[in-house]
Amino acid sequence: MTLLDIVLIVIGEIMIGIGALADLIAAIGINRFPNFYLRLHAATIGTIWGAFLPLIGAAFVAAGCECLGEYRWFMAGGALITAFIILILGPAGSHALARGTHRSGIVPVEPKVVDHLEEDESMPTSQEKQEIGEEGGESQ
Amino acid sequence: MTGMTEIQMFILAILPIYVVAFVLYTLRALRGPSISDMVLAIDAMSYDLAAFLVILAIYFKQPILIPVAIALALWIYSLDIYVSKYLEGKELGE
Repeated sequence: MTLLDIVLIVIGEIMIGIGALADLIAAIGINRFPNFYLRLHAATIGTIWGAFLPLIGAAFVAAGCECLGEYRWFMAGGALITAFIILILGPAGSHALARGTHRSGIVPVEPKVVDHLEEDESMPTSQEKQEIGEEGGESQ
Repeated sequence: MTGMTEIQMFILAILPIYVVAFVLYTLRALRGPSISDMVLAIDAMSYDLAAFLVILAIYFKQPILIPVAIALALWIYSLDIYVSKYLEGKELGE
């Protein structure tokens, strides 16, 4: 076991520890937040900090530990691929879910100051647009 | 072989935190008021479960657990897309 292996293992263990703590924080947050759109925030913490970071750390540990035998590079590469998949697909899935929920309107947007997306979805028709434009022209 | 036992002891110390987090996620998934909350809790829990499977693969020295984690991550993304498409009621992106 060389010095580089020890450094890799220590960095990986630190990453796994941070990931476990972020996972616990996200689980508490997803229980304590009152609304779906606020819970989305905690869920994305659990996806990136709670799953992506420990996977990179697991790849480091698997690459640095000779005791895993000849399969350690397979494990390190598989962990890296899983981390990359989660980095790409986790935010995409959360965005799709938030978009579908907002468009279907099954969850009210509760602490709301302004909702531009809702205004965009209830766009005026072309005739109304023309009327609005004419009014704007008259006022000028 | 002392390094491996240190890693195993570290993973054993980390493991209860993950289990508590999974129990809390399961609570939200069971009592979520809307279907979006349930899917969001299942989503976050399963991504963490994929990371947990890789950590267990290091703990048990079993490389066969790695493809399971990749397949789990891909299936959970498909769950998100299916449910959001059902909620939106039409093709995504229109």
